[in-house]
Amino acid sequence: MRTAARAAGVTLLAWLACAPAARGHDAVPLPALDFDPPAPGTYTLQRIMAAPDGEVLGTDGRARRLSAFTHDAITLLGFIYTTCVDPDGCPLAYRVFDALERAVARSPALHRRIRFVTLSFDPARDSPAVMRRYAGSRLRDDGAVPWYFLTTRSARELMPLVEGFGQDVRYTLDRSTGRPRRELSHVLKVFLIDRSGFVREIYSSMFLHPKTVLNDIETLLLEEGARR
Amino acid sequence: MLRIVAALTAALACIVLAEASRADETCNSPYTTQLIKGQEDYVYVWTLGVDGLGDGSDKLATVDVHPKSQSYGKVVHTVSVGSRGEAHHMGFTDDRRFLWAGGLAEAKIFVFDIASDPAKPRLANTITDLADKTGYLGPHTYYALPGRMLVQALSNTKDKGGVTGMALYNNKGEFIASYAMPTDGGGDGYGYDLAVNPRKNVLLTSSFTGYANYMRPLGELIKDAEAMKRFGNTMVVWDLKAMKPKQILSVPGAPLEIRWSLNPRDNWAVTAAALTSKIWLVKPNAKGEWQAKEVATIGDPAKIPLPVDISITRDGKGLWVNTFMDGKTRYFDLSHPEAPRQTYERVTGKQVNMISQSWDGKRVYITSSLLANWDKGGDDNEQFLRGFAWDGRELKPAFEVDFAKDKLGRAHHMKLGSKALRAAR
Repeated sequence: MRTAARAAGVTLLAWLACAPAARGHDAVPLPALDFDPPAPGTYTLQRIMAAPDGEVLGTDGRARRLSAFTHDAITLLGFIYTTCVDPDGCPLAYRVFDALERAVARSPALHRRIRFVTLSFDPARDSPAVMRRYAGSRLRDDGAVPWYFLTTRSARELMPLVEGFGQDVRYTLDRSTGRPRRELSHVLKVFLIDRSGFVREIYSSMFLHPKTVLNDIETLLLEEGARR
Repeated sequence: MLRIVAALTAALACIVLAEASRADETCNSPYTTQLIKGQEDYVYVWTLGVDGLGDGSDKLATVDVHPKSQSYGKVVHTVSVGSRGEAHHMGFTDDRRFLWAGGLAEAKIFVFDIASDPAKPRLANTITDLADKTGYLGPHTYYALPGRMLVQALSNTKDKGGVTGMALYNNKGEFIASYAMPTDGGGDGYGYDLAVNPRKNVLLTSSFTGYANYMRPLGELIKDAEAMKRFGNTMVVWDLKAMKPKQILSVPGAPLEIRWSLNPRDNWAVTAAALTSKIWLVKPNAKGEWQAKEVATIGDPAKIPLPVDISITRDGKGLWVNTFMDGKTRYFDLSHPEAPRQTYERVTGKQVNMISQSWDGKRVYITSSLLANWDKGGDDNEQFLRGFAWDGRELKPAFEVDFAKDKLGRAHHMKLGSKALRAAR
């Protein structure tokens, strides 16, 4: 396994090195990575915390436990609003996920060992039907990388997940009136979760790049292989 | 909860706070979001307790610093931790909801909730397992990483010397890992500050001294030639992602605070060596190897002015330097970081320690206390928070809080707060 994972990683990195700048649905190139990340397997990804659990809704409207989407495969999970347009936020996460999906598709050894989860922050707007439309062709539970689009029934069900992952939610204050504005702010974070459901890395916009994420995925695969 | 539901059901604007901050408001971790780029409302002052003064305990004081407020320049809230442990530094979590603080005489970390009511921080958690998990003592720097806090300690519980390391906690206060400061390859094992340049995947650390030295009276310590040899003389360049040391840099004389330039085009940091009174520049050479270079002198090193804190402007063009012994606040032009030039100085107290500035650089805050046993005595032992206005030419006094008269203690580290940063709860 260790050899297979390393070979897959080499293939992926070679592909990333040769590929044109990754482009997502909005055709904006990803920012270049300004350093050479350490080689996979040469560093340890610490167990930062257990991923929280709670009830979520799939695009078919069925209720499931989030833990069903955070165990038994390496998971990359990000929060979004379907109305988010900030280029450094949800769209950036999409561009990175898309680039990763294309990279993994070229490496059969990694197929079905990684999943993406996109979880909405906005249950009031982002119903299962809205999430289904939003996902478009990305929605799939077959293919090289299953990609799940989830929402929750209510803020009451969402908040323990938001709090558990440490995603910040706060009002913004209207200085002219001193009153809270009805806006939510959030900081882009993407969570890398291992097969046991532990968060092993948290990417901010500064570290969210396909190359670093792929190295981390390969590091987790090497760790799994060493354990077997 | 209903308020949250109301917020969530209202029209949402996705405000993603991406590449953010670095400065006091210019000297926070780059992962700290919610920077205050307008007028701050509060200065939080982490205050050393003094026996016989008030409750004698370390405490977090909230000072109202909004000029239009009726309580401008006044302490509006204090929260005591109920013990005295040489309160020293603080740091925000990445989401700026919590402020971690600690003391150098112990291994406790206090976590204050500053988001539920920014005017009235609340002690939310006390982390007590640092010594058991790591053997480290005297947590000093609290540096936010996504979802976690990297804590630099100054000492160890075994011999209370300067060999120490860093501890990593998640934002819930659960211990994750520890990283020893390198003692091979030229490393002295000492620690002080840490600062990250995420674009380059670099963590930079500096080095001070251990409990056995920093808890001794200063007058006694400087006469002990052997003890004076036990100060840090290095900085370490780490691979941040791997958390492994890559290079040891020779920086004699106890390099303390580290400030990366906030200009995205820059790739350098500065520090001040306390014992030699020098400014050092850390940047890569043409081959990409990191190098440390002495670039300026602060005051007259023969008089040991003791530079204790620095604060870089948000454009990386200026540096405030406080020197404890002569009570001076100096401004250096950093337009040419290879040759910083002092352009201004003013005595701001009989003893001065920390200096913080607002994001726009127009307001500068100064406190007085260095360490309980290093502060001056008698009339020179002023304890204060002083606010100044800076117009680019002159520091003009704006307000003062007398921490002795108000029976608070010794005013040390500062962080800025805002009413606007109230969490949705």
